[in-house]
Amino acid sequence: MWLFMAPSVLVIALVLFYPFFSAVYYSFFNYYLGSQAITFAGLDNYTNLLSEERFWITLGNTFFIVGASVALQLVLGLALALALYACTRGVRLISLLNFLPHVVTPVVGGIFLKWMFVGRWGLIDATLIGFNIFPPDWLGDPGWAKFTVIMADTWKFMPFLMLVLYAGLQAFDTALLEAARIDGASPWQLLWYIILPMMKPLILFVVAIRTMDAFRFFDLIYVLTNGGPGTATETITLYTYQIGFRLLEVGRASALGVLTLIVVAIMVAALIWFMQRRGREAF
Amino acid sequence: MKPRYQATLLVLLSLFTFINLVPILWGLLISIKQPADAFSIPPTLIFEPTLLFHWEVWVERGFFSFLINSLIVAGGTICISVPLGTLAAYGLARTKTKHASTLLFSLLAIRMLPQILLAIPFFVMARYLSLIDTYLMMILAMVAINQPFTIWLMRSFFVDVPVELDEAAMIDGCNRWQAFWHVVLPTVRPGLAVTSLFSMLLAYNEFLFALILTGSRTKTLPVAIAEYGGEDINYWSISAAGAIGIMLPPVIFTILVQRHLIRGLTFGAVKG
Repeated sequence: MWLFMAPSVLVIALVLFYPFFSAVYYSFFNYYLGSQAITFAGLDNYTNLLSEERFWITLGNTFFIVGASVALQLVLGLALALALYACTRGVRLISLLNFLPHVVTPVVGGIFLKWMFVGRWGLIDATLIGFNIFPPDWLGDPGWAKFTVIMADTWKFMPFLMLVLYAGLQAFDTALLEAARIDGASPWQLLWYIILPMMKPLILFVVAIRTMDAFRFFDLIYVLTNGGPGTATETITLYTYQIGFRLLEVGRASALGVLTLIVVAIMVAALIWFMQRRGREAF
Repeated sequence: MKPRYQATLLVLLSLFTFINLVPILWGLLISIKQPADAFSIPPTLIFEPTLLFHWEVWVERGFFSFLINSLIVAGGTICISVPLGTLAAYGLARTKTKHASTLLFSLLAIRMLPQILLAIPFFVMARYLSLIDTYLMMILAMVAINQPFTIWLMRSFFVDVPVELDEAAMIDGCNRWQAFWHVVLPTVRPGLAVTSLFSMLLAYNEFLFALILTGSRTKTLPVAIAEYGGEDINYWSISAAGAIGIMLPPVIFTILVQRHLIRGLTFGAVKG
């Protein structure tokens, strides 16, 4: 049996573990690509990053953008999943069409969205100006740029939540819903007391997945605002990209990557802990 | 339920779907309009469509060769990732020891890794071995991202095959390998197709690694279109035509694997 796994394990060791550990190794060095001098830096890269304002700003941005967009996606995705569940015709086509934003190449999606939001010629601005409404600068104003990025992330990931939650709904035991309905429960009561509690593990699961993914969020923001204006929409991944591939400071970029990993690990551990605690309460 | 209620629901859902797809439709409109029509305010809906820009971007501006690059990377990734992942998945699906589940969950934990953390050493390695702008490095990077997912997805297909099938084959005189190759593997053929398609989509859509590992010779489509961007209004029609073309394979993909989307999604096939 282990012979079946050997080739894959070998490849994983080569292309995943080796790079990962070398990145951790770099993070303890002053290492600039292009210069020969590599000096041991101990924890300097880490302490410098932690005492730097931009690190906290980008971390804050990441949390803010992720938090707002995941909340928005969850509400929209759940509403859509419930609507699909209640609907009897055309469900397959509707879910397929709504799913498109999620599979479109992210860069391409970013460009499509840019043509919505870009000043004056974008569809939104052009339409608003047509009605004599003066629109805000969606991409250039720090506050609105955050809003735009959140909308973009929602556009891309709402379909994912919709589909997973819809699948969860379909796996339901309908007898329970019928029983509650016969007992005279209103649709809201059904949702609040039966559907949501039953969906809780699934909801936590998708939120955990989205949280992990959100720290990889790169393509859309890169195309839409590239972190701008200033650092208003710069997430931690974009900042790492700047350090690593623009300034070529490999050591510092690796340290930032390791810090990101630690943050993600803590959040996922917290979610799992939360899930298990809730699980025990239920019994 | 009451028919009126159903009708309202359907209308609302259709309306939402339409709004959701407006960015894509707008891009499609830009790509088939003459610039003079595309930028009239308010936007016009009556115009004479043209495929000029589609021709220009794919033929004259070399997007066709970027498509070839994208296909080579995606194909290479499938050729390495899917066979290896399938073998490992079979092994894991038929082992009931504690080690197997530890292995499976550590594969899942890899999902937590920020990709940029992997991108850094890949960039350093590529520079050091002067493998920047080669297909090899890009394919290896895609295999790295892909492999855990491939194993999980394939395993879910193998788990659906009853163990009795292997046992029957082995009683009839097959060894483990023959049982796998001649008996079990043919039954998971649809699973192989789905897994390959998901791997392909992942490699095709990848941007971060393509941005740092490919150059003028091996540039893939996402990098090429990002260079045109959406900013400069003079290039709108061109890049809209490119964007619409790039979008087609993922759309076809969705239609092909629609029954298996959920399975693929929850194991992390499509990412941001």
